[in-house]
Amino acid sequence: MPGYMLLLHSPTDENAGLSAEEIQSVIEDYMAWRDTIASEDRLLGGDKLTDEGGRHLRNENGAIRITDGPYAEVKEALGGYFSIKAANYEEAAAITKTCPHLKYGGWIELRQIDEH
Amino acid sequence: MEIKNDVKNSVDHLLRHNSGQMVAVLTRIFGFCLLDQIEDAIQESLIKALKTWSIKGVPENPTAWLIQVAKNHLYDELRRENKSVSFDDEIRETERVAELAEKRVYFEDEISEDQLRLIFACCHPAIPKDSQVALTLKTVGGFNNREIASAFLAKKTAIDKILVRAKKRLKEIRDRFDIPPPDVLPSRLDAVLKVLYLLFNEGYMATEGEDLVRKDLCFEAIRLTKILASHPVTKVPRVNALAALFLFQASRLAARSHDDGIPSLLSEQDRSKWDHGMIAEGLTYFRASAEGTEISEYHLEAEIACEHAVARSFESTNWNLILDSYERLLAIRPSPIVSLNRAFALGKVQGPEAALAELRGLLDAGMEDYYPFHLTAAEFYVQTGRNNLAAESYMKALKLTANESVKKFVKKKLERIV
Repeated sequence: MPGYMLLLHSPTDENAGLSAEEIQSVIEDYMAWRDTIASEDRLLGGDKLTDEGGRHLRNENGAIRITDGPYAEVKEALGGYFSIKAANYEEAAAITKTCPHLKYGGWIELRQIDEH
Repeated sequence: MEIKNDVKNSVDHLLRHNSGQMVAVLTRIFGFCLLDQIEDAIQESLIKALKTWSIKGVPENPTAWLIQVAKNHLYDELRRENKSVSFDDEIRETERVAELAEKRVYFEDEISEDQLRLIFACCHPAIPKDSQVALTLKTVGGFNNREIASAFLAKKTAIDKILVRAKKRLKEIRDRFDIPPPDVLPSRLDAVLKVLYLLFNEGYMATEGEDLVRKDLCFEAIRLTKILASHPVTKVPRVNALAALFLFQASRLAARSHDDGIPSLLSEQDRSKWDHGMIAEGLTYFRASAEGTEISEYHLEAEIACEHAVARSFESTNWNLILDSYERLLAIRPSPIVSLNRAFALGKVQGPEAALAELRGLLDAGMEDYYPFHLTAAEFYVQTGRNNLAAESYMKALKLTANESVKKFVKKKLERIV
């Protein structure tokens, strides 16, 4: 079965005013989703990326230039990913549709892992 | 990092309680002068938990994880403010705490000791009385301002103001906060118990359909009282009595209204819906409250609540005992509301006429504007067959309350007699 990446994009300024209680219920939502996917043996993994925006590396006329990712200036950023197994894009999208990430202000870029 | 998948199996209100614990631990180390920075660092750690745990799951020891993140954030802040130099000792101390937390030898005991200190700080005599409850909820309870506002049916801006003022006072008190020494402990403890009592009652007044956060106040009051009841210095009889009282009362929370949200009187409640686990726990605290000679107002209230909790039915309730308890309570804490309850018990023992005579005497005590007074009067009028007077009392009650479910309740009663 092919693998799919769910790239989790989030607004960078969300959540600041949430209470502990609200934060817990969001986490529980995600974990319930994750548990369901895992119980169907579809979960391959997931990681969170650090918040600072990373580095951009470019070849500028033969010299490699390294710059900070523009985290502070952008309104949204790639914050992490899940990877799952699905038969095809249709099924992968159906699973992704139920991910709580979409409920809490983020959007998801769904990509198939090319195994060829 | 090991992942624990069953977040549902972890404690209810895990994060709320953890943020209260973090305030307790971090204010002990850094003092209240940094309270604002500490609160920011805690919020930061919760946001980080949200981002990380939602993808990777809850770590094996969430408390240690959160303290570590909050601590790092606090250092960064202090370094930015160039304060780090004077905090060397504290930093070493936090390192120790974090390290212990990671090794899971940061004992529950030590955390509850810190929480106890924090409770006493929030109920310090220098903090205005009307702010102590909100401050306790905020710092010990981990509620945010919006939740406190909805719990107290207040505007958020009003709560913001109260908390700013209270925190300013807290920072002005320069002495290091400790569990009060024996000579002042009783009075300081009484202030704490009063705050917990207010907290519980505020939650207990909540009606069905209202924000759930109001009912949380009851459970928070119980949790904090249990912390007091488990510490050698504060586990005095009246603390156990208060814990018993809360548990007996809270056991009825689920049975207090019908499915349509209309309040259900004690006499009409389905006693099988009461939480019998809570009643059993209440009985344990109630027995512990009898150690020693002290009989506080909380003992008497717990005694009354206990009789209701264990009575098989409303009819078989021992009203003589309840009447006696109300009389003794009246001697310690005279109040029109206690008198009203006593009058009700008197009616059960000596009949409706005796109760009505008592009630007439209470009109001068300012009960005219208190709707439960008129409901009580109405009930006894009905028992004596004076439906006109009963209807009059129900109408008065109706005018005095804005609570929709209470209004529905009264209208239903009115329909029955008109």
